Parts: sequence; C-alpha cells; structure tokens
Amino acid sequence: MNDERRMLVDAATSIFEDLCSPETVRAAEQSGWPGPLWSALAEAGFPWVSVPEQHGGSGGSVADACALLRVAGAFAAPVPLAETGLLAGWALSSAGLELPSGPATVGVGNRDDTLGLTGSPGSWRLSGQLHRVPWARESERIVAIAQQHGQAYVVSVKPDDTRIEPGRNLAGEPRDTVRLDGVATSDDAVAPAPDGVSTDALVLRGALARAALMSGALSRVSAITIRYTNERQQFGRPIARFQAVQQHLVKIAEQTEAAIMAVTAAAGNAVRACDFFDVAAAKIVAGEAANIASASSHQAHGAIGMTKEYELGQLSRRLWSWRDEFGRAEDWSRLLGRQVAEAGSDALWPRISTGLFSNA
Amino acid sequence: MEFAPTTLTAAEEELRSEVREFLAEELPPDFRPGLGMAAGHNPGFSRKLAARGWVGMAIPPQYGGHGRTAVDRFIVTEELLAAGAPLGAHFVADRQTGPALLHYGTEEQRQRFLPAISAGECWFSLGMSEPDSGSDLASVRTAATKVDGGWLINGTKIWTSGAHLNHYFAVLCRTSPNEGDRHAGLSQLIVDLSAPGVKISPIPYLDGSHHFNEVLLQDVFVPDDMVLGEVGSGWRQVTSELAYERSGPDRYLSTFNVYREMLRELADQPLDDTQTRTVGYLAARFWTIRQLSLSVARLIDARRAPAMEAAFVKDMGTVFEQESIGLLRAAADRELDPGRGSLFARLLAEAILTGPSFTLRGGTTEVLRSVAAKGLGR
Repeated sequence: MNDERRMLVDAATSIFEDLCSPETVRAAEQSGWPGPLWSALAEAGFPWVSVPEQHGGSGGSVADACALLRVAGAFAAPVPLAETGLLAGWALSSAGLELPSGPATVGVGNRDDTLGLTGSPGSWRLSGQLHRVPWARESERIVAIAQQHGQAYVVSVKPDDTRIEPGRNLAGEPRDTVRLDGVATSDDAVAPAPDGVSTDALVLRGALARAALMSGALSRVSAITIRYTNERQQFGRPIARFQAVQQHLVKIAEQTEAAIMAVTAAAGNAVRACDFFDVAAAKIVAGEAANIASASSHQAHGAIGMTKEYELGQLSRRLWSWRDEFGRAEDWSRLLGRQVAEAGSDALWPRISTGLFSNA
Repeated sequence: MEFAPTTLTAAEEELRSEVREFLAEELPPDFRPGLGMAAGHNPGFSRKLAARGWVGMAIPPQYGGHGRTAVDRFIVTEELLAAGAPLGAHFVADRQTGPALLHYGTEEQRQRFLPAISAGECWFSLGMSEPDSGSDLASVRTAATKVDGGWLINGTKIWTSGAHLNHYFAVLCRTSPNEGDRHAGLSQLIVDLSAPGVKISPIPYLDGSHHFNEVLLQDVFVPDDMVLGEVGSGWRQVTSELAYERSGPDRYLSTFNVYREMLRELADQPLDDTQTRTVGYLAARFWTIRQLSLSVARLIDARRAPAMEAAFVKDMGTVFEQESIGLLRAAADRELDPGRGSLFARLLAEAILTGPSFTLRGGTTEVLRSVAAKGLGR
C-alpha cells in the first residue's frame, strides 16, 4: 500500500472507530440512517474517492476507493459508501452529469429491472421498475441506465419523484423497489452513456465494491473469532487451544487473505476500466470466503454468535447479503467460465498467470 | 500477515517468455503432461534445463548456481509445473536440499554438491518419515553411532519418493540419545543411496505405480564430512527446511493440467452448466492462490521470514488441489479407466488416484493448521 493510500485508510479508520461502533450499526437498523457517520465521511470526501476532482469528486483511484471499502466492511458501516462514488458518481461524471452533494445510488443488475426513456430534450420521461436498489430511500439521486431506440442513457432520478417500496437485505440494509411512472426528467439529468458506461460495467464495479466490503468484513470476523476463542474458557483452558477450534481459526484467516488478495489485485488493475476476469475472480473468491468463514466463525463462537447483541452477526449477515448482491459466485463462475472457454485452452495459463499488472 | 499483490518486472516477464519458448521447443507434440511434482523423472530434461541456468537458481555463482531471486525461481517453477514438464529428477534437490546445503553445509559440502545440483546431475530424496514417525518427526528412531572417521547409521525410512532413482538422501536421525529435550540430539546425515548396507524396496502406490520406497539402513558408514550442518542441529534444520517446501507452485498446480486438458477436450462442443461454472470457478481460484504464492516469493527476496504466509499457501493450495479434482470429476461426467479414454480422462484418473497424497506430503493439513494457529495470536 502506498503512503497516500495508507493515510486515507488511517483517516477513515479513525472516523469509523469514533462513529461506527457495533451499537451504531445496531441502532441504524432501526432508525435507518447513521447521520453523524455519513456527515463525517462526506466532510472528508470519502464517498467520492475515485471520482475525478474536475467532476466534483475527491480524486484518487478505484484501488483507493476499494481500500476505503475494506475499512467500511470491517466496521459493517451502514452507509452507501460504494454506491455514492464508485458506482453512481462514476456514471454521472462519465456522462457529464452533476454529482449530488448527498448520498447517491444505482439501480442496476436485477433481472426484473425495466427502465424506458421516452420523449426528447425538454420532455424526457422515465418509466419502469428498479429492484433491490441499495439505500434508495436515503439517497439524493438514483442513477440508472435507460434505453431509448437502442441508445443507452445515464439518468439521474430524485427519489421523491418515484414510488419507493422499502425492502431490506439480510443485514437490514435498505434494498428498495423503485417505481417510475412517467417521471418527468430535466435535461440536466439525462445524458447519452459514453463508451464503457453500461449496466454491465456498473454491475462489474458493484461486484468489485461488494467483494472489497466482504474482504474487510472477513478481516474483522477473523480478528473477533481469534479474540473470542482465546478468552472463552472451557474444560479449563481457552478454546483456541483445542485443535478442532484451531482448524476453524486458520481456515477463516486463510479465506480472509485470499479474498483480500483477489480484491486488491482486481482493484489495482482497474485503472482505465475494471477487468472482467479480475473482478469475476474477486467476487467468486470473496463469496467462497464468506461461505467458509461465516460458517467457521459461528461454529467457533457457539451460541453467543447467534445473538443480536454480539458483533459477529452484524458481519455475517452482511457477508450473507453481499455475496449475493451484484452477482453470486455461481453467476460469476458461469460468466467467467464462458469467457475462459471461449479464449481456449492455450490462453488459460497465460491468463491465470497474469496477476497484478498495474502498479497504480 | 504480509501478503501483497506484486507485479512482475520487465526482466521477470522476459525470463518467463524464455522459459515458455524453451518448453515449447523441448516438449514433443505428443507429450503427456505430468501432475505437478509427480511429473516424470527425466535426467536429459533436467540437464537441458540446467544448461539454461534454470536449476540451482537460488544458489550463488561461486557454487555453480545462478544467484537469482526467489521470484525468478518461482517463475521457472510455475512454468514447468503448468506445462506438466518432467522435473522429477532435479526438483527436490533444487527446492530443498540445495538451499539446506547452502545454509547449513560446510564449505567443502557446498563445493562438492551445489555445482552438481545446479548442473541437474545430482538428485536427492528426503529421509524423514519412519514406520513409527510421521507427523511427529522428533520421534525418529533411526540412529547413528560415532565410529572412527564417521558414523554408522541403522534404521528404516519409508515413503521415500524417488529413492530408487536418486543419488542421495538427507536422513534425519538421532545422533545422541533422547534425554528430555526430544528436539535435541537429532542430526541430518547425507547418505549415498548406493552405499553398502542401503537396501531400497518399492512400496507400490495404491494404483500400483512406483514412487514410494522403504529404505533400510544397516550399518551404513557415513563419513564425518557428510553430516549436514552441525551434529545435533537436525531439528532446527528440518523445521526450517519444511518452510522452504511449503508455499511454492507445486502446492497448487498439481491438477492444473487436468483442468487445461478438460478445456482442450471440450473446445469443439458447447459446455454444459456444470462444466461452465467449473471452468470459471477454477480460473478464479488458481489466479488468486498463485498471487498469494508469488507474494511469498517476494517476501523471501525482501529478507522477510514469511513462515505463516507459506503455511497458509500450502494449506490452501493443497486443499484446493483436492477440491478441484472433485469439481473436474463432476464436470467430466463419465466413468474413468486409467489406461483408456482421452488425455483429460486419464489425467483425471491419475489425479483421483494420487490426490489424497496432496494434503499429506510435506506435512498433513491438520498438523500444519495446528502450527499455523499458534502464530495467529490473539
């Protein structure tokens, strides 16, 4: 990690330590929104890292943004940090549209989504439904890709102009249904999607973002499982002394390192665009790590891990949600498998042995 | 934990291209790839590789080696393994005995063995396990007693891969009685596998193939100058020696050729859903574990001591190898005949038959994890 990124991570860590305790996370599940946390993050510019400064962002790279997401994941931060900059901010700034000053989100990638754009400049209208939109009800803008006559447009919608049916993921984070019934949309909220900006590209960035969050949550799961099993005494000694428990600890730590490695390499390579192979691999590996580590950590903790009071549940429920969002490991395995098979057996080893190729 | 992704330098990329070209020229079109470190034992191939400077890479030039980095050695090793190349003759000497001689050997031993190892002409086996000592290596009973000018060694070593083909093996044995500290009084002796009193008998693998041997040592004379390192420091040496062999590409590439052959075989037909998902999933896993392992090589070059990282890679890599066999078997969707069928089917059969050894050799998963857990702190 370079010095600048280290400073970014340290600064973010201290904000989360102050304002994102397990109690804050628990409270946000009821109240819906940790206001002080978001304000502090926004003041530091963290939600807009990776969005160029000339477009109103905070500058920095995708790798910087993913390093922040790792920290956010470790604290189970209940805020749309990934959605605001890395996803919505990227689409808006790429299309030359204005960034909102508050949180933003994207409605992409759900197979039941429909979004049509009708009219023309001065009379744009949007109709359709977007599903499982993260934090829609808390956002200032919902960004999506709409089609008209075969042309894709980036559109930026005010949640107040839509009907929102609240939904949640397994961790209680907002995942809302957004209905648009001929929403009149101003000219400064519609722009042709430039090359490379598409639903698929947003899903790819979303998958990388979720994998980054998962890698952070996994680190925390590993740390608290080690802590707990060294404190908890049974049969006269810490349960971490038992080989059966040690197997769990090592498996969790290994899976965590694998997820971090895959995410860091994929994020580091995402200089001009996210590489499909890298991101698919990262989401697959992080998803697999989530399966193994959540099972092992709950087994090592016993009943205390099943309580709302204890921190593990905040992390495991996020892992169980994030592994499915923006494509499950199974979905990405299928997509990646198609690409790898198409490239053929002679291209297999050269691709697998291409790891981090950018030092950005 | 210090894992960090790393890019290859231009010079490293160049080395990789050279190795790929060499392999394309050396391996005949009808070449049957081997599975990882169990690939063929081919002295001619090892010598040619050595002539290119790709054996003994980590050994300094004054001992006939090439003074290259751990990453350079990683690159050559992974290319050989990915091609299923016959690296069996030189592999253990290159990976393990060479570095051990360099670190612990006398000047005379270095002069004697390292140039031959680097030339691909001196091959080693490992002499650790015994009938009553497996994971608990400190319990070895093979013993050497001091005689004039050397040692007389007696005992039995088992699971000695390649003893019937190689020149020497480094034998862990007791050189003074076990009195309290069981890690004291152990030494490593370099035993000439053709010496009088050495009796090598095959222990057929479960499929009948010959890798393992029992090596009976009856009053074998080992001259003083064949004690590796200090008398009595055998335990420290073998435990650090275990670290060398933990995290390289041989710990996760054993089934790579089964995977690639499946892809080759299916090239002309549409893949079903299981096959498609298997192809994608394995690509993701290979890509990730390779970068973990490469990062360990970088740490070694940076003079860190990545013991935990190495243990993690070995554990993850070998468990993954076995998992991959299950997935490839499901994707293959056929009954297997070890002597018939496509190359993919025959390699898969071989992987199924030899796969259980992947998480045993070099230390079992369970023992490895118990050791690693102690480093996880609290």
